Amino acid sequence: MLSRGVKRKLEDDEEIMAAETSGAFDSSSSLPYPQQRQLVLNMCLSKLQSCHMKVEPSLHRSVLLANTLRQIQEEMRQEGGESTLAAIYDGSSCTYNGGNPPATPAHNPELHSLLLESPVYPNNSSVTDNTMSSSVSAILREAGFVEDVNPAPACLGCSDSEELCFSSSPSYENDGDEQPVDSRSSDSLFGSFEISNSTSYLTDLALDDIFEDIDTSMYDSSDFSTVMSFPVPRSPVSSSEDTMKSFPTCISPSSNGIQICITDLNDLDHIMEILVGS
Amino acid sequence: MLILNIKLFCSYMPQFNIWILFSFHLADIISTVEFNYSGDLLATGDKGGRVVIFQREQEGNNRSHSRGEYNVYSTFQSHEPEFDYLKSLEIEEKINKIRWLPQQNAAHFLLSTNDKTIKLWKISERDKRAEGYNLKDENGRLRDPFRITSLRVPVLKPMDLMVEASPRRIFANAHTYHINSISVNSDHETYLSADDLRINLWHLEITDRSFNIVDIKPANMEELTEVITAAECHPNQCNVFVYSSSKGTIRLCDMRASALCDRHSKFFEEPEDPSSRSFFSEIISSISDVKFSHSGRYMMTRDYLSVKVWDLNMESRPVETYQVHEYLRSKLCSLYENDCIFDKFECCWNGSDNAIMTGSYNNFFRMFDRNTRRDITLEASRESSKPRAILKPRKVCTGGKRKKDEISVDSLDFNKKILHTAWHPKENIIAVAATNNLYIFQDKIN
Repeated sequence: MLSRGVKRKLEDDEEIMAAETSGAFDSSSSLPYPQQRQLVLNMCLSKLQSCHMKVEPSLHRSVLLANTLRQIQEEMRQEGGESTLAAIYDGSSCTYNGGNPPATPAHNPELHSLLLESPVYPNNSSVTDNTMSSSVSAILREAGFVEDVNPAPACLGCSDSEELCFSSSPSYENDGDEQPVDSRSSDSLFGSFEISNSTSYLTDLALDDIFEDIDTSMYDSSDFSTVMSFPVPRSPVSSSEDTMKSFPTCISPSSNGIQICITDLNDLDHIMEILVGS
Repeated sequence: MLILNIKLFCSYMPQFNIWILFSFHLADIISTVEFNYSGDLLATGDKGGRVVIFQREQEGNNRSHSRGEYNVYSTFQSHEPEFDYLKSLEIEEKINKIRWLPQQNAAHFLLSTNDKTIKLWKISERDKRAEGYNLKDENGRLRDPFRITSLRVPVLKPMDLMVEASPRRIFANAHTYHINSISVNSDHETYLSADDLRINLWHLEITDRSFNIVDIKPANMEELTEVITAAECHPNQCNVFVYSSSKGTIRLCDMRASALCDRHSKFFEEPEDPSSRSFFSEIISSISDVKFSHSGRYMMTRDYLSVKVWDLNMESRPVETYQVHEYLRSKLCSLYENDCIFDKFECCWNGSDNAIMTGSYNNFFRMFDRNTRRDITLEASRESSKPRAILKPRKVCTGGKRKKDEISVDSLDFNKKILHTAWHPKENIIAVAATNNLYIFQDKIN
């Protein structure tokens, strides 16, 4: 048996199934191709979803996982054939073409039946449904693609609730075109660009000195949409340490949808632990 | 805790002489290894942010067997762990890369980087001390000036050698993503640093700004399909650099062409072999390291299963391809599951560019002779290296009957990986990092 990598794995039925069959995959390719593909798809998704760590997840790894995922989904899409092309397109392609969460399988009965027909492991059919229907782009976002923050329209859409952007929003129109943004989110998108422009203008001036103790140079001007969501401290004399520490507590759900979408409650707990512990 | 370990004799290699092995046990997992330009100094960086520098013993030492031995020269903490408050994430202190600067005076300079910050360190020796101050006594306490009745001139007295490391420049806040490469330019004034999406050009004297010369970040991050994995400056032409991608391509850029080198001058890509296509084709094509030859005529890339040598004048395919561990191709799914498929192996040239070396699993590392096309697999471990033992070339059994001394693919230990290796710029001395252990193989002069 090949020895495992150092990383611990989630104890999951899915994982155990994958573990048992990955050996079969390797040794004799005894698995039929669709099952092989399903296995890889499941591993891909579980790796992407487990990207939440204390240290920033590796963008390189996330990109490779996402590309593998896209490739498999593209293949599955093509296998669906001409008749269900439109349905699959609505269901899956839009997930990685601009961030529209696709319609749930309920909206696409043809897609749903297609998934059930394809030979999948009994344990994993539910996973397939969820993953095909829920926003793959949301998973990618969670994996850290928007570290640099151009606010994703879908995430802004769910800024009103503190939930992660997994559930698809029925308010989005799927017109089959690659229309990335609806009017509401495009306003927010451009709105944040305006803010970012004015912020970068401010920092370019000699007013730099006033904000000397704030380390904003780490982020580009395009990233200031995140920074601007935090209240800028009034008094420049306050130590940067205190200022920085107050930021996490100032996160308000309504003003900073992006951070909330990415940071779940566990991370907030973690922040509090660090603050209290230090 | 550093333990200077046993010296051993190793096996005969077809194209090299007898090897002597030195090994050092370091406190933490080694994350980078680099010889300086003369080869007298060897720097290692580890996961804990420390840098340990080894120095070769100077010639003139009467004991012949200790001539050319490497010993610890300096140890210092280069990077500390940090916390990014805005993103609520830790910034690892692990040293990703060390690059030496060419020596210009008695001191040595090196650049070390973690994920976010690059630092220029000065390593200098002090072996003299001034004694006989007028205003201070021997312990450094200030003297009462009224008690001084005579003046004397302080004299320099020898003292025990002290090696000091001090940070001279800190290049921070220029990278949003994780820095994977730094490379000193041949003009010795500038250097580049590359993260997943951007490459910046710095001047060694200027820390508060850098030029962005490559930016592959898409307007919409969800359209991101490719990242930068490594970058290097050309050894002779200060306007040329290359960067490799996660899709197995290499782009050569000329900084004279434009300020932002988003358009490459040359694009190197080998067409994919459709017969070997699998789910993991893209992942294993991702280039983990790119190195120019010393001559500047060739460059070498390392992907998961092979090493390729490219002629800079031919973009369509590499001129040489060496299989490092092709027997892993049938195990890709398991390696994907345990994350080993994402391991980033490095590669290196020897001083004369006729041999290349790279690491593998089970503490194996491979050397390829470009002229004779012969290759050898060796193991870097203390268990199999008893004093005066001959280190045998290793072989992995790929199928069929396993011969004696061969090891089967399923018995390989994938936790023992050799990712970092370095070759002395002039001599047959190699440094191999195996987790916490540093092995130095040296040509025994007959």
